[in-house]
Amino acid sequence: MFYRLSGIHHTRYESASQLWPIPADRWQVYALLALALAAPLLVSDLYLTSYLLPWLIMTSAALSLTLLMGIAGQLHFGFAAVMAIGAYTSIHLVRFGLPFELALLGAGLMAALIGGVFGAAALRVKGLYLVMATLAMQYLVDWIIVNVPAISGGAQATLQTPRTTFLFLPLHKDEVRYYVALLWVVLVTLLILNIKRTSFGRALVAVRDKDFAAAVIGINIVRYKLMAFFTSSFLGGVTGAVLAYCFYQAVTPEQFSFNVSIQIVAMVLVGGLGSVLGAYLGAAFVLLVPIVLTNAVAYLAGLGLLSASTNLLAHIPLMVYGGLIIGFLLFEPLGLAKIYDNLRKYFLVWPFRHARS
Amino acid sequence: MAPSRDGAMTTKNSEAQGRGVVAKHQNAARDRVLVCESVSRWFGGLQALKEVDLVIARGEILGLVGPNGSGKTTLVNSITGFYPPQQGRILFEGQEIHRLKPHQIAQRGIARTFQNVALFKGMSVLDNILLGRHNFMRPSVLGSLFYWWWAQKEEVRQRAKVEEIIDLLQLESVRDEMVEYIPLGLQKRVELARALASEPRFLVLDEPMAGMNQEEKEYMVRFILDAHEALGLTILLIEHHMDVVTAICDRLVVLNNGVKIKEGTPHETINDPAVVAAYIGKVNHAA
Ligand SMILES: Nc1ncnc2c1ncn2[C@@H]1O[C@H](COP(=O)(O)OP(=O)(O)OP(=O)(O)O)[C@@H](O)[C@H]1O
Ligand SMILES: [Mg+2]
Repeated sequence: MFYRLSGIHHTRYESASQLWPIPADRWQVYALLALALAAPLLVSDLYLTSYLLPWLIMTSAALSLTLLMGIAGQLHFGFAAVMAIGAYTSIHLVRFGLPFELALLGAGLMAALIGGVFGAAALRVKGLYLVMATLAMQYLVDWIIVNVPAISGGAQATLQTPRTTFLFLPLHKDEVRYYVALLWVVLVTLLILNIKRTSFGRALVAVRDKDFAAAVIGINIVRYKLMAFFTSSFLGGVTGAVLAYCFYQAVTPEQFSFNVSIQIVAMVLVGGLGSVLGAYLGAAFVLLVPIVLTNAVAYLAGLGLLSASTNLLAHIPLMVYGGLIIGFLLFEPLGLAKIYDNLRKYFLVWPFRHARS
Repeated sequence: MAPSRDGAMTTKNSEAQGRGVVAKHQNAARDRVLVCESVSRWFGGLQALKEVDLVIARGEILGLVGPNGSGKTTLVNSITGFYPPQQGRILFEGQEIHRLKPHQIAQRGIARTFQNVALFKGMSVLDNILLGRHNFMRPSVLGSLFYWWWAQKEEVRQRAKVEEIIDLLQLESVRDEMVEYIPLGLQKRVELARALASEPRFLVLDEPMAGMNQEEKEYMVRFILDAHEALGLTILLIEHHMDVVTAICDRLVVLNNGVKIKEGTPHETINDPAVVAAYIGKVNHAA
């Protein structure tokens, strides 16, 4: 964060449109990636599988949804259902005998197809009605999964993920599960970043911001909205499969309930609509803050500083958490990513104020 | 160049000058880029366009004028597919376009700007103009995923094209600014740049100089003339500034209450008693 922009001159269009045109930013990213690769050596297994792993996977989910909600501007309140389709598809495909790599592809395609069909239905409507349409998808998919034993293995059933390998590595090993999740989040991150700097992303944003102006330069609005639904659902489907195999190692319908959909939407909003960094920050916030709050409340209660009924104690973290989210949206509607950006700009021009980077 | 200021519309000099009606432009031998045949459009009970006929010849700059609410923008919206005519036909280069969607019409080679600037906020000037190249790009998810082997070459090639337009319209200094932070006059120029980026053969400009001061107007006039010449465009120009219209248009068409009341050379048109009456009537009405 402590560097200046002076002396950085791009002389080729290629270098000017790099993902991180500023060398210092680039080195930061490389350093983070190196840390992520070394994580299994640096942190305990418990940390790796119960903090880092879900964070990476939910970040992938938030990134998938950010493509649809942030970049293409289409609300989706049934994204967990999309992930459920991917999860169940991948399990059944592997049980059927397909290699895991292909099952992932199948999971994405199935989710994209069904998600795309709902998207097509939802294209005619906007705003609240779109929310209703995607909610309908959530409940319809939930209902079908629970009530069709061929999919769920019967109501209340838990399907264990079959033993399998990824690129010849055994998928039940902790490190392998971690690296698969890491690989996926890196892929999704690169995809979203690249979409944002290419014609596809520009067209999506154009349709989101001013559809009539997009039409007048030849953009087929319906087609691009559909492509957004399709792509985002594909990513969501694969993420669902990764979640099932790498984190839960089993699936039940509750893992993909409406609550989860809301959580993913919260990640996107708290992190900052349309921001890649925001998806990481938002996922961390939504996953970690409840844990931290619960521990903090328990700690304070243990010290005798908080005396209340256990019932109330259980609800305090939820209340604070809800308040925090609302506070964030009021205080900085562009989310955590924007807060980071403000900080960064502040230091870039420090000690001068009010200058733009 | 300074636009000539002769013949301001508000002059009371309303002597009939109905001589020599533009014979050369009605010469059937010339290429007819756009033809409107008795185009009508209603909004509820209001008829915004009443059987409007219009022919625009290749290479021409046609001025479309008329008092507020006379249907100019509606005619443009009919041509570009936003409010398709409920009666009549519109042909572009001999082919019917009035049943096509706006993006299909754009793909045929018609570009336009909007009366109220319609740029994409939150994007840089450069990205806005790059969007104008949409028709020449093949956006795809896989292309984006494999950016370094696939999309990059195309992005760079289109970027080079965009730089030519930035050059032509002298937008270098604001290239990387967010469009919402630059002055309105420049925003209108960026919108012109975005329209030009799509390499149209027919360009529709809806009040490109609204809200500009004299200097900005003169710049804009020059850019329009430059583009007209450099790109071999045919232009339909809606403009309230009569000095501009008379200076750069080959011909004028006057709408009033959705009816075409006059068509001819700029000079004879703005001195036509019916035209003057339409404007003055409107002024009294508004007062
Ligand atoms: N979408 C619409 N719905 C209803 N009425 C409309 C619509 N668009 C235009 N009109 C009406 O059609 C008539 C013509 O409007 P139009 O915008 O074409 O006028 P204009 O000549 O462009 O005027 P101005 O010089 O103010 O831009 C007006 O009476 C207007 O109120
Ligand atoms: Mg108008």
